[in-house]
Amino acid sequence: MAEVLIKDVPVVPRTPAELERIPLVRNRRSLGWVSDAIAGIVEGKTPAWWWMAFIPAFTLMIVCFSCITYLMTTGVGVWGLMIPVAWAWDITNFVFWIGIGHAGTLISAILFLLRQRWRTSINRAAEAMTIFAVICAGVFPLIHIGRIWLGWWLLPLPNANSIWPQFRSPLLWDVFAVSTYFTVSLLFWYMGLIPDLATMRDRARTRIRKILYGLGALGWTGSNRHWSNYEKAYLILAGLSTPLVLSVHSIVSFDFAVSQVPGWHTTIFPPYFVAGAIFSGFGMVLSLLVPLRTLCKLQDVITVRHVDLMCKVIMATGSMVGYAYGMEFFIAWYSGNPYELYAFKNRAFGPYAWAYWTMISCNVICPQLFWSKTLRTNMVFVFIISIFVNIGMWFERFVIIVTSLHRDYIPSNWAYYRPTWVDIWTFIGTFGLFLTLFLLFMRFLPMIAISEVKGVTPQADPHHPLGGAKLGGQH
Amino acid sequence: MKTIPPPCSEPLSGQRYWRSLDQLADSPEFQQWVEREFPAGASEFSDPIGRRHFIKIMSASFLLAGLGVTGCRRPEEKILPFGKAPENFIHGVAQFYATAMPTRGSAIPLVVKAHDGRPTKIEGNKDHPDSNGATDTFAQASILGLYDPDRSQRFTKGGNEVPREQAFDALKQLAAAVAANGGAGLAFLVERSSSPSRARLRDLIMQKFSKAQWIIYEPLHLEMNRTVAGNLAGQPLSPYYKLDAAKVILSLDCDFIGSEQDTYIHCRNYARGRKITKPTDTMNRLYSVEGLLTQTGMNADHRLRVPTTSALAVTAAIAAQIVDNPQVKALAGKFALPSNVKQEWIVECANDLKANQGASLVMAGYRQPGAVHVLANLINAALQNNGKTVLFLNTPQEAATGTITDLANGLRNGQVNTLVVLGGNPVLNAPADFDWKTLQRRAQNIVRLGYYEDETFPITDWHFPMAHYLESWGDARTADGTLVAIQPLIAPLFGGVTELEVLGVFAGLQSLRPYDIARETFGLLAGGDSSDVAWKKFLHNGFLANSAAAPVNAAFAPDKITSALNSAAAADLPAKEKLEIVFQRDYKIDDGRYNNNGWLQELPDPITKTVWDGLVLVSRVTAADYGVVNDDVVEIELNGRKIQGPIWIQPGLADYSVSLALGYGRQRSSTGGTGRVGDKVGLYNGYDLRTTASEHAAVGGKLRRTGAVYKVACTQEHGSMEGRPIIREATLEQFKKKPDFAKNMDLESHSDYVPKDPKTGFPVMIYEHPYKGFELRKGQSGVKLTGLKFASDIHQWGMSIDLNACVGCSSCVLACQSENNVPIVGKEQVYRNREMHWLRIDRYFSGAYDRAKPQLIDDPQVVNQPMLCQHCENAPCESVCPVNATVHDEEGLNVMAYNRCVGTRYCSNNCPYKVRRFNFFDYNKRQLGPKLYKNPITTVGDDGKWELARWWNDPASSSRPEDEWELSKLVKNPDVTVRMRGVMEKCTFCVQRIEGAKIAQKVKVGQSGDVRVPDGVITPACAQACPAEAIVFGNMLDPNSRVSQLKRQERDYTVLGFLDTRPRLTYLARLRNPNPKMPDYYETPLNIAEYEKREGGGEGGGYGGGHGEPNNPEAKPAAEKGIH
Repeated sequence: MAEVLIKDVPVVPRTPAELERIPLVRNRRSLGWVSDAIAGIVEGKTPAWWWMAFIPAFTLMIVCFSCITYLMTTGVGVWGLMIPVAWAWDITNFVFWIGIGHAGTLISAILFLLRQRWRTSINRAAEAMTIFAVICAGVFPLIHIGRIWLGWWLLPLPNANSIWPQFRSPLLWDVFAVSTYFTVSLLFWYMGLIPDLATMRDRARTRIRKILYGLGALGWTGSNRHWSNYEKAYLILAGLSTPLVLSVHSIVSFDFAVSQVPGWHTTIFPPYFVAGAIFSGFGMVLSLLVPLRTLCKLQDVITVRHVDLMCKVIMATGSMVGYAYGMEFFIAWYSGNPYELYAFKNRAFGPYAWAYWTMISCNVICPQLFWSKTLRTNMVFVFIISIFVNIGMWFERFVIIVTSLHRDYIPSNWAYYRPTWVDIWTFIGTFGLFLTLFLLFMRFLPMIAISEVKGVTPQADPHHPLGGAKLGGQH
Repeated sequence: MKTIPPPCSEPLSGQRYWRSLDQLADSPEFQQWVEREFPAGASEFSDPIGRRHFIKIMSASFLLAGLGVTGCRRPEEKILPFGKAPENFIHGVAQFYATAMPTRGSAIPLVVKAHDGRPTKIEGNKDHPDSNGATDTFAQASILGLYDPDRSQRFTKGGNEVPREQAFDALKQLAAAVAANGGAGLAFLVERSSSPSRARLRDLIMQKFSKAQWIIYEPLHLEMNRTVAGNLAGQPLSPYYKLDAAKVILSLDCDFIGSEQDTYIHCRNYARGRKITKPTDTMNRLYSVEGLLTQTGMNADHRLRVPTTSALAVTAAIAAQIVDNPQVKALAGKFALPSNVKQEWIVECANDLKANQGASLVMAGYRQPGAVHVLANLINAALQNNGKTVLFLNTPQEAATGTITDLANGLRNGQVNTLVVLGGNPVLNAPADFDWKTLQRRAQNIVRLGYYEDETFPITDWHFPMAHYLESWGDARTADGTLVAIQPLIAPLFGGVTELEVLGVFAGLQSLRPYDIARETFGLLAGGDSSDVAWKKFLHNGFLANSAAAPVNAAFAPDKITSALNSAAAADLPAKEKLEIVFQRDYKIDDGRYNNNGWLQELPDPITKTVWDGLVLVSRVTAADYGVVNDDVVEIELNGRKIQGPIWIQPGLADYSVSLALGYGRQRSSTGGTGRVGDKVGLYNGYDLRTTASEHAAVGGKLRRTGAVYKVACTQEHGSMEGRPIIREATLEQFKKKPDFAKNMDLESHSDYVPKDPKTGFPVMIYEHPYKGFELRKGQSGVKLTGLKFASDIHQWGMSIDLNACVGCSSCVLACQSENNVPIVGKEQVYRNREMHWLRIDRYFSGAYDRAKPQLIDDPQVVNQPMLCQHCENAPCESVCPVNATVHDEEGLNVMAYNRCVGTRYCSNNCPYKVRRFNFFDYNKRQLGPKLYKNPITTVGDDGKWELARWWNDPASSSRPEDEWELSKLVKNPDVTVRMRGVMEKCTFCVQRIEGAKIAQKVKVGQSGDVRVPDGVITPACAQACPAEAIVFGNMLDPNSRVSQLKRQERDYTVLGFLDTRPRLTYLARLRNPNPKMPDYYETPLNIAEYEKREGGGEGGGYGGGHGEPNNPEAKPAAEKGIH
């Protein structure tokens, strides 16, 4: 049948409109436009909005470091921690930031392996976000300990004391999981940057830029051999990263699941934490990219479809998280363990009910609005919901950590935790750290993978009507 | 205990002066040396102590070694070697000296531990015939008072420092001046004391100054029972209560467990009547009639909640049932009973007392008027208890020439021109209507001996710093009349003097040395043998054997009874408009005398669990009527006087009754006042409201909201057990029916879910546990206990706490604090739930569970539970520590390696008992003052040094002034690490004592190899201090050890046993003994009723078996699991 058609019509037939794929780059932009648009953000004049974002972010970062200095010199007591709530905002923030870090690797690795080509527009920014989020996360386990200067004792270093860390402790697993994750994520991100750094080098107009980008580009010439090696390495790193996406948050969840605190000691935690992490990560990606695509005029690269797809992921993972919330309650009741049941009742109706219902509203109810395509494609609405998702996920960790600890087994221990100003400003300050790093990233590095985006444009596909192969007229 | 020194019969040579104290003490050269080296240097001592000063004291205390105390003070860096080491002194090995802590009319026999000449820990003297080695909280904390930097440190004249000699010269001149006219115008205002030496000096003085006044004043008259009994009998009498002989006890507002005199004896004797081993044993029954919820009321089987002023009416009603005396019956008809009192309660209580004639006991509290005491005496007499449960001892008592009212009148009329105030703080605690501050100034010459430069200090002409009892020579009598020695363990740190020295001046003694005075008194009292050998033995033992007072037949004069009962007047029943105001002896700071003691200030009140505050306690109903809640500041008005304080709703308090604490709300000023610790602690000063008319309780108070809110720090926010069987209890009847009730509760009763090894029947362990490993090995090869290869085969430590004996007195908490260098953290930190006590007493009220029935908390049942590290075999804390800082040792202890701890706090999160404590700040470097826990970057110390620079130069330094910093180190136990910030800590079962005993045992047995420490040798600090003997520690491998025996009891259970943490600390369930005939009888303790309600149980066999089949043999192994 097809043969006949080709014979009858010498030109390539147009695909019927309803079968036409929605292009990943809109408006049939040329390859050159893609390079210009993305590299232009780095090469152009610093826009005013950048400064308007950077100065507060940088200030907040200073606030964060000041708070940490105060903490280190004075004692963990400057936070609101106490017995029984010996972990509170510190570990909440740690898990929150680690969770955010999940979207980047998921987008870069898992979506890459699954051949989800839409990932190309967002993976670079998401990976950068991952790295900065893990930096923010990594701050907390280090500074939350009582004797910060001895934090290195958690590393399995041969030392004069001949004492190894305790391999049964989930905190030690955390050290391995987070450091591995950070290393692989950084390598993966940097790998992907190499061709684009070469592009930047080649486009550089000043000597310093040329040198610096050139150093980063590691002598990339774009030869076939380079591309071949690059693709292989990228695939391997994607393969390595994929289990990490699942393992890191599973291991973080072990901090709780391995303990015997009612409300922590649940087998559902690993999958539930991973789903929550992806949920929060996508929330954060949206919070960043929705304004950025407008500010950097990248609507043709980061299209509404991208946003739409990410909203679907949020909806799916939000529902998983909601299921987990329900299942926790069911199991608490079904187990017949009154201590367990009390912990969950206390979450929903105890002194921290406000936190619980904030969490439920943000994490379970809000994402359900994304069943509507109109809402999924409304950028303002999506931005607002993504913020809610972030708030909700912070509260999820707060609820898990604080409400479980504040009332556990023996009622005489029960207490109500209140943060201090240092708790609050350290946390807000980490947003300063995060945004400072991110703004520097987008100002000095191509925030979208130029080469990869080009690869998914029709022009790059020899089989596509717009692709270069068309000129040959035949397949 | 130290070893008994050999009798010094051989002639003593001067070179060996440290053994020849008496002869040498009398020799002129020696005297001169003493004068030159030590007392004369006292003017230098009044400087803030610096390093040089330490060395001086050190040499002085070396000198004191010759006076019966071996001592070498060791400042941190500079060590003066002994020219010749004192006998039996091994540097670094603690020494123990017997002494006693004088209390108001009694004393607590003590053995005090000293490290290199500095006292560090106070323990009871268990050799004393009337002590089991117990102490109370005040005794435990008194050691901190010794090292209080705010103590009075100087002799002053009109507030200006003068040399010691000048002060004493002035005193001599004063004595000479008043001698001219027979002591007219001379008045002594003294605190109550049981010291025979003081009584002797008093008699000497009264002989010399026949017109002098001798006024004894205590704001809290704990000797009410003695006064009344003495009045009735016409001779000095001391009632002595044999609680252990009583089967039925009725307390008439008598908090004999908590706030009366000699509680340490009462607790022990009461607990002996509660401790039973098997269901067939009998147990005493406690009825309590009271208005405030006291510790006695907390422990009562039946508690009648009536206003404090209505106790008289209830007493009269009960007496009318028992005493065949028309006047008593008339009295009963005269008074109106509060509406909640059922006649049945009174009748059945009286019947129970009557049924136990000769084995019952009625006690009246110090807050109650004389009539209640008279009635109590009559009831006891009618029940033929006298001589059986009540002994009347003819202890000599110091006679007063009048009351403080007489003195006030004398001052007002200008009859008193020389006032000598010994101890006491009348400006603070004299009745407010006297306006003592102005009144005292009417005397021309005021001499004061005071421990602090307090409120009375500015109104004195001559002030003498008082010595702590650990720095003093003296004597006292305990409750049974036994003479006890007070001997110093250290030279007076600040050159303080004792009462005896001041009185000696007036008595015109040749030697003013208190040692001589006490020695002479001993000579008079010891009867036949007052030789040096006897004296040494007295000092060594701490008491004079067989010196207890003899019981006498107390014949009460009928006319005295009649007149006492005639004068009985009932107060109105309190109501909303006229509240009853009750002043209570604070469980922490007494009448305010311990205001500057941080340990006591931070001790959770046994009832309210609050710290660092005086509260306005009201009942739920009162609070609801006034629309006030906890922390609301209210104004209390009584007879035109007003105070403001924070509301605290107290379950169990009588309605329309307001309880106020005494001794808080004090301030430090430039001229005097409390110290820096007690400065502005608490909003109000209870003494501002307290007049002669309202000594202990008065009706007619008003309460008004001010709208202000004040934060109260409470260590236990949640008072309900939430239906959880944390503390398991039953009534005696239930125990008889189901002796293993405690093992059939909570989740562990449900299933046999722990996998068992089919061969051994023991639970399968994740790791081979040493204890189990031992049993397996023993089974395999018939291993003997001696000469074993494994340390784990010799000792496996365990503890048992009998909740039936524990009365919640909190002595253990302070004993632990003292032994283990547990820091205090301050009110703000406690408010943040960061208190550091390794051992806490959990106190639960029943009834708080049911929100729908708030009235349930009005008459709660209360339970107490000491909660400390459980030393779990499967310790949840250990597996989560990433750095191996908390690990198990071979002897079953869960140990903390502080040096390894980085402070992740995960162990605390994973501890189901939450017994771990974290150093959120450098608590041990805590300053006294507003710069508490400030960051070092922006803080400048009092000396103007930048804190960061100071820290950089010397991380071990403190921002406290050096003298204070050095002083604060002295109280520390050198055997226990002082923890820095960022480190987790917890109970160690006093591992330092365990190791010490093991070493001593190894030394003792030498090569024979039997290194097993005999049972009873190791006593952790908590168990040592426990007056109720509720805490028992020992080797679980020894089947005959007390702890093994206790753990085999049916009542033994594990808290949260279903978690399978397998604690080494198990509890013996609590028992209640309600009377089935009483209207408030309960078949099941209320907390357990709550538990059964939660569990929906109560059907399958009733109590303790509502779920899980208790009679199912298969369920048994799971239940017994708790033993392992």
